[in-house]
Amino acid sequence: MSAREFGEAWALSQLSPGIHLVALAGLIGRRIAGWRGVVAAVAGMMIPAALITVALTAAYGVIAASPLARAALAGVAPVTGGMTIATAGLLIRASGRHGRAHLATDVGVSIAAVVATLVLGMPTLAVIGAGAAVGALALGRERPTSRESSVG
Amino acid sequence: MDALALLGVFLKASLLSLGGLSSLPLLRADLVAPGIATDDQLVQAIAIGRISTGPNGLYIVSLGYLVAGVVGATMALVAATLPPLVIVPITAVARRWLLATPVAGLVRGVALATAGLLVATGIGIVTATGSPSWWQLTLAAIATVLSYRGTIHPALVIAIGAGVGLALGR
Repeated sequence: MSAREFGEAWALSQLSPGIHLVALAGLIGRRIAGWRGVVAAVAGMMIPAALITVALTAAYGVIAASPLARAALAGVAPVTGGMTIATAGLLIRASGRHGRAHLATDVGVSIAAVVATLVLGMPTLAVIGAGAAVGALALGRERPTSRESSVG
Repeated sequence: MDALALLGVFLKASLLSLGGLSSLPLLRADLVAPGIATDDQLVQAIAIGRISTGPNGLYIVSLGYLVAGVVGATMALVAATLPPLVIVPITAVARRWLLATPVAGLVRGVALATAGLLVATGIGIVTATGSPSWWQLTLAAIATVLSYRGTIHPALVIAIGAGVGLALGR
């Protein structure tokens, strides 16, 4: 697989719904070994990781009710909240466009979404739909340029 | 909630998100608001997802396990795996169309709206207990900066939170 092919697979994977790394594994697998390659690449990425995730969750479940685990969770909760807010920043950085005017528009769309959900109580699905409509009509003039996939 | 309904919730969140934690606002709306999952479970799932291997979006497997055991984890794994793969056949027939500007704009619009929803969800998680203390707000601010910069491994950031919680949260 050439660097150019990988770059295009990466760009296409960023347009996929859900976990972009799964899409990237699928596109690479197909390029290398057809549909069997898709299955092998995706299963290899997901199944071991899912098993480890379930094992960790089950292991934590054994101690979850203890006072020490409750205390630790009181510190982990704000950390995960902060990570969630940071993900928002990474999404804006990855999809944002060059130039101050573009950046102001892009951040403005995100702030409008915050206001719509927190202040106006708009349903989550409606906010996503509104973002899609605004984006398709007005935000398509420049393709994403960032190569970072830190939210993937 | 039966297994198929849970699969539906996870599939919807996966189909309408763009990687990583971006499925979180939809899952919180569909699971925490009706009382099927708690914010505590959401926090555990995110933390375990960050400590475990694989893509960050696999936190939903942990959440599925917490809500409905092995069946829930399986539903979450299916929902995390299938939606991204729609890009493979679409790419085979419509590569040029995919890279056209309206599609790029649509994806960008969804990403920016999701960013706003993630900010609201993050605030919701931090304030879930009603009145977060000064050290919890400080932890949230530090975690936001460290996670955005990405120079420290997420598992270490989680460990810092757990350590501070053990010291001050009793």
